[in-house]
Amino acid sequence: MVKMSVDPAKAKDLQICASSNGEKGDSWEETDELQEDRPGLAAAPKQPKPENAVTIAVSTRVLFRTEREQKVFERHGVEEYLRYQIQHENEPFAPGPAFPFVKALEAVNSRLRQLYPQSEELFDIVLVTYNHAHVGIRLINTINHHNLFIERFCMTGGSSPIGYLAAWHTDLYLSADAQKVREALAEGIAVATVFMPEKQTEVSESQLRVAFDGDAVLFSDESERIFKAHGLDKFFEHERQNEDTLLDHGPLKGFLEALGKLQKKFYAKGQRLDCPIRTYLVTARSAASSGLRALKTLRAWGLEIDEALFLAGAPKGPMLEKIRPHIYFDDQMFHVEGAAEMGTIAAHVPYGVAQKRQAGK
Amino acid sequence: MEEYLKYQREHESEGSTFATCAVVNRETNSCAWPISQPKPENAITIAVSSRVLFNMEREQQIYERQGMEEYLKYQLEHESEPFSPGPAFSFVKALEAVNNRLRELYPQSEELFDVVLVTNNHAYVGLRLIHTINHHHLLIERFCMTGGNSPIGYLKAYHTNLYLSADSAKVREALQEGIAAATMFTPEKMKEVSDIQLRVAFDGDAVLFSDESERIFKAHGLDKFFEHEKAHENKPLDHGPLKGFLEVLGKLQRKFFHKGLRMDCPIRTYLVTARSAASSGTRALKTLRSWGLEIDEALFLAGAPKGPMLEKIRPHIFFDDQMFHVEGAAELGTVACHVPYGIAQRLAEK
Repeated sequence: MVKMSVDPAKAKDLQICASSNGEKGDSWEETDELQEDRPGLAAAPKQPKPENAVTIAVSTRVLFRTEREQKVFERHGVEEYLRYQIQHENEPFAPGPAFPFVKALEAVNSRLRQLYPQSEELFDIVLVTYNHAHVGIRLINTINHHNLFIERFCMTGGSSPIGYLAAWHTDLYLSADAQKVREALAEGIAVATVFMPEKQTEVSESQLRVAFDGDAVLFSDESERIFKAHGLDKFFEHERQNEDTLLDHGPLKGFLEALGKLQKKFYAKGQRLDCPIRTYLVTARSAASSGLRALKTLRAWGLEIDEALFLAGAPKGPMLEKIRPHIYFDDQMFHVEGAAEMGTIAAHVPYGVAQKRQAGK
Repeated sequence: MEEYLKYQREHESEGSTFATCAVVNRETNSCAWPISQPKPENAITIAVSSRVLFNMEREQQIYERQGMEEYLKYQLEHESEPFSPGPAFSFVKALEAVNNRLRELYPQSEELFDVVLVTNNHAYVGLRLIHTINHHHLLIERFCMTGGNSPIGYLKAYHTNLYLSADSAKVREALQEGIAAATMFTPEKMKEVSDIQLRVAFDGDAVLFSDESERIFKAHGLDKFFEHEKAHENKPLDHGPLKGFLEVLGKLQRKFFHKGLRMDCPIRTYLVTARSAASSGTRALKTLRSWGLEIDEALFLAGAPKGPMLEKIRPHIFFDDQMFHVEGAAELGTVACHVPYGIAQRLAEK
């Protein structure tokens, strides 16, 4: 575990003038003389270096409710849209589907800072948006209104934001735009399209809960291919035979890994039961017939998952309603819609063989 | 030919100024009208030194080690060998691409980029420079060869909107005279950039804006800086040395927007600032708006490194007041220029 030791008194300098591209060591500007009248300031939360943090990129449409503005854009074009935004600049947007998730990330950060004040292994949220800089002021007003800590913005004024994701060392990208999500997946970035749940469900403010589907989300879609091509029995046979062969990894494996790394920091301080991050596997797999391979794969990757539900085809909606995750990832729109119907914030990962089926229908 | 030149001299002050070296086709003995050069006060004049436009490292070494006479001798001997492109080359090519688009849309307008070669060089070197310019199909018709004198006076005479040089002393002089200027550095390996869309990236404080906020940060730290910025959210920042250049870029951009070419505009501007969005971004954005300036893409980095962002953007040029950022950008292949203005310079000198 890499710990960045940062002297708090010098930490302020990091923000504006000293950040290198990550290769150089400390190159602090010499400002000691000018900082004499600065005894022990209470530290504003400092921004971690992107490569040390778990970077979550969110678009404005999932962080906030922007349906009305979206309609203005679609019906009247970009100039009207910008005019509308500027007129309503002081009206904060309402929270969107990713809002509780981001709030929970900040809650985890607070706990992490208490336990490891020098560490940069924190969540870092970047607002990545197609929007023009004109909308920036309304976004900043909204962020401050809701007491969010989002200091990193990437407003691309119409060009694709995907190229910037790698530069931000993005560990997860959440968007409402299926096209951008596909583009990002093709670049190897963990990404999902977030949908607004149909009814509001309260989620925890102190514990981040993330639920994952198994195949084609954490794992590759290789088994799903067999199932779709040859049916359930062949699938079971194949899984049993290959019990000890690890499944290949899926697009969200890296994100689960990043969550696990942070969880271990709490365990190291004896806070396993009180850990503010909890992960769930919610899979349609059948336990006895195909569960071993999944669990062995996770173990081989050194990944823990707190709760595992093998549903053997039972609907996921009611389970998720009980879990109340801040976000649930699945590769099949069928499950995503089912979850959203029952108030779960569900996100679609457009990966694997299930997409072709949907496209063909 | 004689009649033509006589006509030019007589009608010099009327309408567009034609370059005095007409393009003559020696075989047919006919004279093609050269592309008209805009009047300096109408155009956006970019003055570049020869050392940033072309790669003159070898020649520079000879001058430094062996003196002026050797240097001139070497240049004369190699007169027919064109120089290879320097860091400002792709920038100048992109300016010409924009000019072509502008001429298509507004054939009568003089609101174009105009590139002037401003060099300390002796007139002897002029031939080699002209050969090089023609070899690379550049359209640079205005030269200013000062043979050792300071070019600053000429910059003003040319209504220079931006001066790029490898010599930081000259850049400082220009800045003091109120001319937007920056010292250009050659990256170790230059990344490929677009040849149809000009991309210019700016730092915020002490480049577009004055260094007033940076002073507060350096004197009192980050928290006071945030406090100050929030308290003065609605008070526009004072302008910095490159504000005027962004302004003229915006003026040209609007000419494309008027023809419905917003998404296809061949000029794109970027703000790449270490500012934090929620804590200090509003003042920056409101300042730009109060100046009537638009910027296409805005990245608030809150201290994250600029290098990877610029690597993605691929600007033809990036302006920053801190050598730290300039070096970081150049390491990853971006053509970065240092604007030696403001409080950061005093500290860097220590």
